[in-house]
Amino acid sequence: MAESTRFVILSLEGDKYAIPLSSVVEITAPHGLERDKNLTEIFEGKTEFRGKWLPVVNVKKLLRMQGLPGKVLLVLKGIKGMVGLLVDTVAEILETDKKAAPFPPGVMNPSTTCFRGILRHEGALVLLLNEDGLL
Amino acid sequence: MTGSYLLFLLSGQLFGARLEGALEILPWRVARKVPLAYSYVEGLIDYRGVIYPVFNLAQKLGLKPQSPIGFTAQGETTPAGLQSIILLEEKKAPLGITVDSIVKMIKANEVAPDASKGDGFIRGLLYDDNKEILLLDFERLFFHGG
Repeated sequence: MAESTRFVILSLEGDKYAIPLSSVVEITAPHGLERDKNLTEIFEGKTEFRGKWLPVVNVKKLLRMQGLPGKVLLVLKGIKGMVGLLVDTVAEILETDKKAAPFPPGVMNPSTTCFRGILRHEGALVLLLNEDGLL
Repeated sequence: MTGSYLLFLLSGQLFGARLEGALEILPWRVARKVPLAYSYVEGLIDYRGVIYPVFNLAQKLGLKPQSPIGFTAQGETTPAGLQSIILLEEKKAPLGITVDSIVKMIKANEVAPDASKGDGFIRGLLYDDNKEILLLDFERLFFHGG
């Protein structure tokens, strides 16, 4: 039997995205967010998390989407360390033994690293974010 | 070379697609938006277990929509003029293109294009009722860089 993987399903401007649950450290509210002029435009600021400063990314800016920054903070750990992502909602956990489908050719510049592939969930396509390729 | 072709209209111009590659014709539908996609990508659709990228062919070709400019409530109606999506397969890669309307299917002889036309995107020409019909090279249009 194929091994199943669990994903956190989140939303941005009404569309669903997924991220592997194994990379999620905490889902919380973005308290005490401080601006930091040393961070680039895609960062909304930084916040203290477990005694350390956590850079917080406005994912909508990163993905060049319209809309206000999300109100949910998703703390991720990746190969480059921990980072916070602001998303609109975190709705559920998807457990599936299906592998993500690759992106069809011609959709975006092949050097784009923000996505790992595409999942199907409840009749919709869910874009799988690449936690190590977002920054 | 004689073959079967699907003729369609886009911004008032007649184009053709070889039927060997034209798999399905769908009424226009909202595609799953993809952030960071090329500007002419409408999104993705999941049809019969296959994920198709849907390309706005008129935008890619730099053609202007035929319909008058006006207010359109987002998500409720089709973009100006676009009525159908043709699903194709080019070199085993599935893709969808948005078109204004499907005209008809014909059997015709394909002739080689004038090399000076179309930036290499025209793979052949057809003639039907004394009209010239362009056959586009979808692979070259969509799969060779943005």
